[in-house]
Amino acid sequence: MTGTSLRTYLLTRLALVVPMVWILLTLVFLLLRVAPGNPIEAALGGHVPPSVVKPIEHRLGFDKPLLTQYGDYLWNIVRGNFGTTITDNRPLSQIIKQNGAATLELTFFAMLIAIVVGVLIGLVAGRYRDTPVDIGGRLFGIVVYATPPFFLGLMAQLVFGVWLGWLPTSDQASPLTQALLQTHTNIYFVDAIWDGNWGALWDIVKHLILPAMTLGLITAGVFLRLTRINVIRTLRDDYIEAARARGIVERRVVFVHAFKNALVPVITVVGLNLAILLGGAVLTEETFNWPGIGHELVLYLQNRDYTAVQGIMIVFALVVVGVSVIVDFINAFVDPRIRY
Amino acid sequence: MGKTRKRWLLLAVAVLAVAAAAGTAYGGGKASKAGKILVDGTTGTVVNIDPANEYDYDSFTVDLNIFQGLYGFPKGAKLQPVLATGCSHSPNLKTWTCKLRHGVKFSNGDPMTSADVKYSFDRVQKIKGDQGIYTLLSDLKSTSTSGAYTVVFHLIHPFSVWPYILSTNAGYVVDKNTFPADKILANTDTAHMIGTGPYVLTKFTPSQQAVFTPNKNYWGAAPKNGGLIINYFSKSSTMKLALQQGSLDMAFQTFTPTELAAMGKQKSLVVHSGHGVVIRYLVFNVKRPPFNNINVRRAIAYLMPRQTIASRVYHGTVEPLYSMVPQGLPSAIPAYKTLYGASPNLAKAKAAMKAAKVKTPLKITIWWTPSHYGDASADEYAEIQRALNASGLFKVTLKSAEWAQYSGALGKQYGAFQLGWFPDYPDADDYTVSFYQTNSFFSNGYSSKQMTSLIAKERGAKTSALRYSYLKKMQLLGAKDLPTIPYWQGNMIAVSRSNVKGIDSTLDAAYYMRFWLISK
Repeated sequence: MTGTSLRTYLLTRLALVVPMVWILLTLVFLLLRVAPGNPIEAALGGHVPPSVVKPIEHRLGFDKPLLTQYGDYLWNIVRGNFGTTITDNRPLSQIIKQNGAATLELTFFAMLIAIVVGVLIGLVAGRYRDTPVDIGGRLFGIVVYATPPFFLGLMAQLVFGVWLGWLPTSDQASPLTQALLQTHTNIYFVDAIWDGNWGALWDIVKHLILPAMTLGLITAGVFLRLTRINVIRTLRDDYIEAARARGIVERRVVFVHAFKNALVPVITVVGLNLAILLGGAVLTEETFNWPGIGHELVLYLQNRDYTAVQGIMIVFALVVVGVSVIVDFINAFVDPRIRY
Repeated sequence: MGKTRKRWLLLAVAVLAVAAAAGTAYGGGKASKAGKILVDGTTGTVVNIDPANEYDYDSFTVDLNIFQGLYGFPKGAKLQPVLATGCSHSPNLKTWTCKLRHGVKFSNGDPMTSADVKYSFDRVQKIKGDQGIYTLLSDLKSTSTSGAYTVVFHLIHPFSVWPYILSTNAGYVVDKNTFPADKILANTDTAHMIGTGPYVLTKFTPSQQAVFTPNKNYWGAAPKNGGLIINYFSKSSTMKLALQQGSLDMAFQTFTPTELAAMGKQKSLVVHSGHGVVIRYLVFNVKRPPFNNINVRRAIAYLMPRQTIASRVYHGTVEPLYSMVPQGLPSAIPAYKTLYGASPNLAKAKAAMKAAKVKTPLKITIWWTPSHYGDASADEYAEIQRALNASGLFKVTLKSAEWAQYSGALGKQYGAFQLGWFPDYPDADDYTVSFYQTNSFFSNGYSSKQMTSLIAKERGAKTSALRYSYLKKMQLLGAKDLPTIPYWQGNMIAVSRSNVKGIDSTLDAAYYMRFWLISK
């Protein structure tokens, strides 16, 4: 490995971000325009005559040629102007700050649950291969991975919210907590700690459990199976045999030598799974009335709010591309075999 | 290693203990302090709170707590002066002079004067917001003041229902010192969202929550609760769970008929129902074959399964409707019942089709939209299809499109299609002129000289009795010409926990959710 080749690789990887994002933005732009109807018709149609609708469409530029609209759209993005939503005059920056924070909170805890549950069960299943523990673990992994998030969410609501009455079934916090909590970061969990408001924190944690579990378990299935396979493979490696031959106790061989190495590929997948997690977040947020960015995306899509949908998609794209670039960087540093 | 682990364990136990203790203290403390705060849930979406660009019911429900007009419906469905003490008109009904109530203050303490009223009307006309509320003031030429407490409205045409326009949010009075003259105030700018209503909007988190506190400068009776929180839900099923769990005190707008039926059986919940003004109707493009044939339209009118839709699809939460004007409003008459009967009449439908001279079963396409008018729309149109097909006179194909597409097409592309109506103001004028005028919003090609003449006479009528007589004639003519067929009117429904009081006092044909009358 030479410094030059690594630098070239990193620069190439960074340069590729631009066409990737551009292709995605173009697709979003075209798909929205291909879908019939526009935000003004959605808002005013069935209420006021076309003679009122047309001038408003003209004022907002919806009657301009598609190419002109596309040019305006790209130019605005280049200038960092994501605009204001058409349907409710909300700056995109506010959506990203406010709803993005709610999604961040949910995905962070979902990822935490996914890692803890997935990796732990995977380690145990791999270590005790073909035992009932392994079979149970594999079955669990397949079931949670295959179950759609909204179904898992509905089941969780029914069992823990309705039947047992242990946990709230919707929202980021109870109405009073939401109303009284001072927002500093818009991440309620952090805001409650910031203010030392432990009562609110407890309320927020209770509201987090079901959505985070629902979203986290889906990804946990992936981690579980990957960890299990890596543990099995690692336990067969020569250096494990060598460690055993040196008389190192089995517990140390498994926990210190095998598990540590088995987790390296899992770290890469954790980063890449963020995209899956964001996709799942849209459905989970809808199910639990979680006011995240996915929840907003659905709302704006229904109203054909071009500005809002495009802006939110840019955020999704940048997050996914950003994380994949970071993962690639880490891999490039860690694994000298990775090069273009 | 062992010591470190123990230390972490102790720390975790300590944090949990503190959190649990604080949780109990927080829950108890806040409950007593905020016990009178009413928490409502809704599946609605707030578009714009600024009255100059608010033209949807969910935003209106928010505005109703903060703003007031010169006229309104403070109690019941009868129009009453609110910020005005009364208005008088010139003989030609083109100039309206309103006297303002003295001593009214905005929530920030600013006095409300005629300058604020003029400012508010000028602002709506200047901004011309993209939600289209300014169209309600299309007949307003100018607004002038005469002293601090008199406002004069100069209209383009005689307009007998002008006081009703003053009750809409196009006529809500805003503080000229806090609202910009030429642009819409952002929903989250609560510091400047100043009105004269019973509450002050203190916090608004889009698509999550609106928080209101009682207005200390309110000129009327103080709200019966200590404040109001409206929580927004994307799905009614989630809202139902929150209500069942006690996170909400009440929920208004909108549960599915099935959910309402289920909640009606629960002891901890009460389903409240009152007169409603929301209607559903079928529209024909009277220029497009085969619906350009009046006898085809008549046959469909004879077969409309109103009772089946009301009972089977909506479980009795709606009532069969026999006029474009819902029952409960002055001048409403069951015109369609008079002409086509209370229930389907196959013999008369057959006679109409014979007169139409078309080959039966006639293939027709009816359009409907799946989500905009609620999930029950699919079943509603399945019933209509079943009824028409069962007659042997029609072979109906149902087609649907999402609202964003559907609302742009209507009469321009469809021959027969579903629509719903929520009034701009609860008066028969809004249920007739909107549908029967030439070039109506749904572009169905209907134009009648007789109807146009009746509309002009109604708008120029100097007494209510005369106006109502014209409105009755318009309903009968509409039923005869059949550009539309109304089939149900919805009730105003709210669901509450059993300890909530006062909801029934606000369920009337005005369709105003007056939260300030509700306590717990």
